[in-house]
Amino acid sequence: MSQTLTGRRDEAKTSFGELEAKRRGPARNLLARIPIWVLIGLLLVIEVYPLLWLLLSSFKTTGEFSTGVFWSLPAGLNWQNYVLAWTSGMSTYFLNSILAVFPSLFLVLLLSLAASFGLEVMKWRGNNIVLLAFLAGIMIPAQLVLLPLFTIYFQAGLINTRWALIITYTAFTLPLSVFLMAGFFKGVPRGVIEAAVLDGANMYQVFFRVALPMVANGLVTIALVNFFFLWNDLLFSLTFISDDSLRTIQTGLLNFTGQYGQVDWGPTFAAASLAVFPTLIVYLILNQQVIKGLTAGSVKG
Amino acid sequence: METMLRDRRAVLVFVGPALLVYSLIVLVPIVWSLGYTLFEGNVIGGFQFVGLHNYAFLFSDKSFWQAFLFTVKYAVVVTIGQVGIGLLLALLYAFYLKKSSPLIRTLAFFPVVLPTVAVSQLFKKIFEIVPQYGLVNSLLHLVHLDAWIQPWLGQGGSAFWAIVIMDIWRSMGFYGVLLFAGLVDIPSDILESARVDGASGWRLVRYVVLPLLTPILFSSFIFSINGTLKVFDSILALTNGGPGQVTTPLTLDMFNTAFANGQYGYGSTIATALAIMSLFVTLLIFRSARSDVA
Amino acid sequence: MAFTEEIESGHLNRRQFLQVAAGTTLSLSALLAACGGSSTGSNSNTAAIEFLSVQQPNIGWPLVLSTITNQYAKNHPGTTFKTDFIAQGNLNQQVQLLAGQGALPVLYNSPPPDLMAQLTKNGEVLDLESTFQQLGVSQQVVPAAFAIVKKIFNGKFIALPFELNIEGFWYNKQIFAQNGLQPPDTWDQLVQIAASLQQKGIQPLSASGQQGWPITRLISGYLFRKLGPGALDSVKSGQAKLTDPSYVEAAQVVANLGKQGYFGRGVATLDYQSAVNLFLQGKAAMFYMGSWELRDYTTPSVNMIGSNNVGFFPFPNVTGGVGSSSQTPMNAGQTTSVNKAKYNAAVGGWLAYMAQNYGDVALQKEGAVTGFVVHNPPANLDPLTSLVINQIKQVSQPVLWFEAEFSTKATNISQQDAAPLVTGAMSPNDFMSAVQQAL
Repeated sequence: MSQTLTGRRDEAKTSFGELEAKRRGPARNLLARIPIWVLIGLLLVIEVYPLLWLLLSSFKTTGEFSTGVFWSLPAGLNWQNYVLAWTSGMSTYFLNSILAVFPSLFLVLLLSLAASFGLEVMKWRGNNIVLLAFLAGIMIPAQLVLLPLFTIYFQAGLINTRWALIITYTAFTLPLSVFLMAGFFKGVPRGVIEAAVLDGANMYQVFFRVALPMVANGLVTIALVNFFFLWNDLLFSLTFISDDSLRTIQTGLLNFTGQYGQVDWGPTFAAASLAVFPTLIVYLILNQQVIKGLTAGSVKG
Repeated sequence: METMLRDRRAVLVFVGPALLVYSLIVLVPIVWSLGYTLFEGNVIGGFQFVGLHNYAFLFSDKSFWQAFLFTVKYAVVVTIGQVGIGLLLALLYAFYLKKSSPLIRTLAFFPVVLPTVAVSQLFKKIFEIVPQYGLVNSLLHLVHLDAWIQPWLGQGGSAFWAIVIMDIWRSMGFYGVLLFAGLVDIPSDILESARVDGASGWRLVRYVVLPLLTPILFSSFIFSINGTLKVFDSILALTNGGPGQVTTPLTLDMFNTAFANGQYGYGSTIATALAIMSLFVTLLIFRSARSDVA
Repeated sequence: MAFTEEIESGHLNRRQFLQVAAGTTLSLSALLAACGGSSTGSNSNTAAIEFLSVQQPNIGWPLVLSTITNQYAKNHPGTTFKTDFIAQGNLNQQVQLLAGQGALPVLYNSPPPDLMAQLTKNGEVLDLESTFQQLGVSQQVVPAAFAIVKKIFNGKFIALPFELNIEGFWYNKQIFAQNGLQPPDTWDQLVQIAASLQQKGIQPLSASGQQGWPITRLISGYLFRKLGPGALDSVKSGQAKLTDPSYVEAAQVVANLGKQGYFGRGVATLDYQSAVNLFLQGKAAMFYMGSWELRDYTTPSVNMIGSNNVGFFPFPNVTGGVGSSSQTPMNAGQTTSVNKAKYNAAVGGWLAYMAQNYGDVALQKEGAVTGFVVHNPPANLDPLTSLVINQIKQVSQPVLWFEAEFSTKATNISQQDAAPLVTGAMSPNDFMSAVQQAL
């Protein structure tokens, strides 16, 4: 299971590789390693080159795109593309993405924490059914609820408002978050809770002071899983928001166009680079947790 | 203490808000959506009851079946590709890389977190033919294989493969890590004893490693099929379902029907068909996993 | 994490928790109420004109309108003009949304006729014919524009013709001269010209398959020449079907152009601006398009072949056909309608002023030909603009375009399937029947 994906297990595995190597002997070792290095090199090129090219192209002028060659280096660092991208929308799109995603993250963490505590720790009839109801939600295609949601928001005058996104994002990340959080709560030893109760705490105090700190790590994982899902959302923002001043990053990128669907490649790539940075930075800083989180979400499903 | 844990009021406070939001925004709309399938219209023009007409139309609608076939083809090909290459990557990480393994894993994983629209715009340029050759066509030109230069995104067949390549590129690192986690769980003594029995290399993988990986492989398949059946973002941004409607998956077909053509009832019908399909496939795989394990 | 620490150290008991929850809920509802509202229109004294437009604020109609508003504001202080940009592909959806919420701005790019009919029922479409009469500016609209708008919208003048365009083939004079070619009179001659250009390695035609409509315009052009100007009216009335052999023939000839490769290899994914650039950079010899492209033709940085190098010939005749090339395809571009629900005297004042000045300002600022009368034509007009103005004067009977009288769904299908038609992925029969089915 992914929860055991720690360094120690890595070592257990690599010792196997070493045994394999010892068996082959030093000279054959080197030869055996060459195709591996080629493979790794190929892998790196495949993974990294497209993004490198994205970055380089973001500095090209429109002329260079029409007349130049694919891999030509940009003639100069045309920062103008970035300025244009930023001022003709990306700044707004960034703000909108932040304003839509972070409140949702806050809400879903709060709600799923409370709900899974109630579902896992507290005893009552029907808690299994409710848990199952949440689980079922993980599988639901968003398209199935898109139209009624649209109608609900439309009647409530919420189309083209941030609330449409925040409410939707919170509701759709609840199932997985509740599921994961319930798993974390399972790991909280009942003895600790009993001790707290014996000390005179009521349920709320148990929640805040005992259970919550113990699953704090889980909060980070869930926040990360949901962050990427929400930050890269396209379907909901495309459906509920058509006002350009409220667009998020993904829909903003899609619409970097003129009247007849023209695409200005230089600034578009600059915009794409700008869009890629935050996720990249989050990923580079927190990569182990990101990986753990995203894979935890699927394996347990 | 038991009474405390059974405190009804507290349960309501804890579970209530989440359940409320979830019911209102997810559960109720599902039922509502099924209701929509019996109507036709949209929020501007109003709705009319049409009974089972939408379902009848579904069976004869060519564009629905075209989208259906495309979705299935896409899901199967990409799942096999993602999970297959992911498996190969995981084997690479586990058996052949030592110190560099975490670094390579991290590098291969990161396309997963990138915004899909940005990636699609990137790949649009990679496969471009006009106004200038993209990466693929430029490379072909370089090695004098000009006969193979073609409008990759302008033809149904090659557009399909372009989408497949893009999505596999994006997700193979994910499955690589997922399956790697499964690989490190395999106790090394089992591998050792198999080694002692004379198994090595490919045979080791086939007869020892893979069977032990089966649960996680099935999880991966289910997860992948679920995701690929619902593909939307990447195709919308890369080809918008084109040329024509050749690369339109069910999700996009539903979206266009509802919002471009203003037919919410029929759109809901397509969505329902998609949900049923998703459920059916998942259960199918689940069943075969159960029978294998049992 | 700070959140939990705060909760732990501060002694938040149940009452306080509920208070916080209540407070949050209240403020949430307040915000909800605040965000749910829509922008108000103008009050009765000054006009605050808001324009939902598929053109960005600094070009085209928004530019002309804001210039006019600035002039108007000198005598009517407080008049403002604002543009809300929406991509063409999202226009229909956005109009529907805003209309349903009562938030449709006073000016908005018109969606297709069937949607306009729904909007009219909801009281969001101003009848411009009677309004202009009341305002005394009926004479400011060019008769041809008047006729076209009425034809598109079922006999009602409910859209402002900010453009008046003719369509035809623009060609690179230099390429023609260098290869001893003359503009064709008949379709067969056109095909021959394309063939000889192709042989010499010059791309004969440029068209955006990604947009689709530049290709379907060729189909309707052929239909009008072969079957007469009423060819598509008959389809609408049900007298003829697109799947009739004479109609399929039109799709066939266009598909043949594609089969021979006359559109170049990337036609299916070629976007609009790239198609324009192919022509204006001298890489394609002919370009079927409307005269709204004048803006690009008269911009030296975009038009690299120079405007004296751009020639025009109308859609050629079809041998054995009943139409003639003086029946020019014309349109009023993407028109703009006025929201009746937001119309008042102040808006009326602005509207009248606008009608009186649009023709002149547009011609001056953009070199654009519009459906509004020009009072003071500038002395030195770009030769291409003069050409277009002359062509308009020679039109005996305007005809519309392929999807003009189609439903929204049929329009979408026709434009989507144009690319497969010319790449050979879809047969002419299948194309026509797909569109016919959706009508």
